[in-house]
Amino acid sequence: MRDIFTEIWESVRRNKLRTSLTGFAVSWGIFMLIVLLGAGNGLQNAFFKGGDQFASNTMMIGGGYTSKAYDGLKEGRRISIDDKDVKLIEGDAFATNVEQVIATVSTGETASYGKKSTSLTLEGNYPERQQMEKIELVAGRYINSKDIAAKRKVVVLPQNTAEALLPAFSQAQDLLGRHIKIGQFSYLVVGITKSDRMMGNNMAAAPFSTIKTIYNKGEDLDDITFTFHGLKTEKANEEFEEQLRAAVNLRHRAAPDDKRAIWIWNRFSQNLQMNKVGAIINVALWIIGLFTLLGGIVGVSNIMLITVKERTHEFGIRKAIGAKPWDITKLILAESVTITAVFGYIGMFLGMLTCRLLDKTLGQSTVSIMDDQIAMLVNPSVGLDVAIEATIVLIVAGSIAGLFPARKAARVRPIEALRAE
Amino acid sequence: MLIELKDVNKTYNNGQPLHVLKGIDLSIDKGEFVSIMGASGSGKSTLLNILGILDNYDTGEYYIDGRLIKGLSEKQAADYRNRLIGFIFQSFNIIGFKTAVENVELPLFYQGVSRSKRHEMAMEYLDRLGLADWATHYPNEMSGGQKQRVAIARALITKPKIILADEPTGALDSKTSEEVMQLLGRLNREEGVTIIVVTHESGVANCTDKIVHIKDGLIGRIEDNRMHRASVFGADTIMK
Ligand SMILES: Nc1ncnc2c1ncn2[C@@H]1O[C@H](COP(=O)(O)OP(=O)(O)O)[C@@H](O)[C@H]1O
Ligand SMILES: [Mg+2]
Repeated sequence: MRDIFTEIWESVRRNKLRTSLTGFAVSWGIFMLIVLLGAGNGLQNAFFKGGDQFASNTMMIGGGYTSKAYDGLKEGRRISIDDKDVKLIEGDAFATNVEQVIATVSTGETASYGKKSTSLTLEGNYPERQQMEKIELVAGRYINSKDIAAKRKVVVLPQNTAEALLPAFSQAQDLLGRHIKIGQFSYLVVGITKSDRMMGNNMAAAPFSTIKTIYNKGEDLDDITFTFHGLKTEKANEEFEEQLRAAVNLRHRAAPDDKRAIWIWNRFSQNLQMNKVGAIINVALWIIGLFTLLGGIVGVSNIMLITVKERTHEFGIRKAIGAKPWDITKLILAESVTITAVFGYIGMFLGMLTCRLLDKTLGQSTVSIMDDQIAMLVNPSVGLDVAIEATIVLIVAGSIAGLFPARKAARVRPIEALRAE
Repeated sequence: MLIELKDVNKTYNNGQPLHVLKGIDLSIDKGEFVSIMGASGSGKSTLLNILGILDNYDTGEYYIDGRLIKGLSEKQAADYRNRLIGFIFQSFNIIGFKTAVENVELPLFYQGVSRSKRHEMAMEYLDRLGLADWATHYPNEMSGGQKQRVAIARALITKPKIILADEPTGALDSKTSEEVMQLLGRLNREEGVTIIVVTHESGVANCTDKIVHIKDGLIGRIEDNRMHRASVFGADTIMK
């Protein structure tokens, strides 16, 4: 081993400029690969952030407008989801898949505290929603079952809504335990949640029973959310959605295949699709990166070819005194693998550093889209798996780059090699 | 017989076919000090390359120690060259970016001898050839005679049965040439190595015990030269 490296070192030392130029091409290739993949991950993290924000096995349905005439009724009719739909979904027809069903009712309101006021959407919720939507509390608690049972007037506010009700520079937590006015009634603030850019910033949660009673909602609901299990593939999900749609639609005298009558938002299949898009982006980035890397490999291969040509006489001497073809091949291969590996690692290191730098700069900045602050890059980095993959790519690349020159060198007959000058 | 050639033919086929060896019959015994002499272009180098398994022959038979050398794989040929044969070339053929001692070590490297062992042996051989002080010098710091002695040390280090030298004095002045030839003679006497020297200089041939004349691809006269009287210029001089 040490002998091989001594040989490589001798060869590299004799060809400093050539080696560093080739090395630069390899470093650049790997650098681009890492930065592209890192930036790609950052983009995906930023845009698909919602993906892991919810329990992924939930489905939500809500009312819409019919798009077909059916059962003697005209199209364009409004469909309202109601308590009977909850019963239907909870019922035997879907029992194999459905776990827990909860509903919300909501209404737009104005909240005020002292002199300050803000508008919000007041949602009547069940305690289970916290888990289903992975709602993160900053302080206090979420709605609980006692709130539901006693129809308490309590509210959980998002951080920025709470801040909007307080004097400038105060902490959202200061509102905990205070009473604020929402509409005609006074509510006790029991919890503060993280503001949610995806879902809107002004969703305040109150007990389902309280809102239903105060606003006299009757049987109508805003949406129904349920968790499910046993639907592993996209196809299984689609079939389930179709059945669900047909059942709910028929109950509202809408065509069973009318996609507009109710909407179904399946977070599981949405996640699947997001993952698919993510995978496609990843593949695209790998391809771009690999092509950049290919440039480096061609460079190494070329350099090794020139090296072989220059060293033909030397190889002749080695063969004359007993070097076997494999000894020569080994020499060339080891040299090209070493060059690619060393410079590849430099490129990888710099690439990772650049990802860090991106995180520190672009990663901290946001763009404004429709009043929402959206981060452009979130945690742009590559994982250990990618580092390992890149290492394998490097070694393979180095071997390929060295293979042709090495075989060429090994094939030259000793007498011809000795004749070469 | 250590070396036996029977009706060996060799034709070069690049462009115009050139029949260089036209049926060589030659036997060389263990411990002989032989020169192969002939005019330039008579096929001496071609013959020596075949003897050294650096090149193939077309027809005939070639035995070393009773082993037929024909149709060997590159790997096998390399192994034979490594263990049986030591080469000395006109142009030295030592590797420029390696020091004297590294050059001498190289054949042992291909035998898989450990680092320290082969270094020790290489130093020993350099010392015997009076080059101990030059061990860490690079070839471009040495004179022609010194380089050729490095090459001789490298040829000897594997303790080969046969040493093949193609115009070993071709690039040396007459004084150095003589020294090199005397060195080869001493090695032959003291170690009993079989040495075959190719030359076109009668003075060089005169240093050997047997002179094989080659002409137009055929073996001609074989002279017993144990008295070293073949050269008209006397026993101990090489005229350049
Ligand atoms: N590789 C080769 N291809 C074609 N012809 C060759 C080759 N090597 C040698 N020859 C020719 O073969 C003849 C013998 O060459 P060589 O054995 O080198 O002679 P010597 O060593 O006696 O001077 C010469 O005419 C030379 O030109
Ligand atoms: Mg010649």
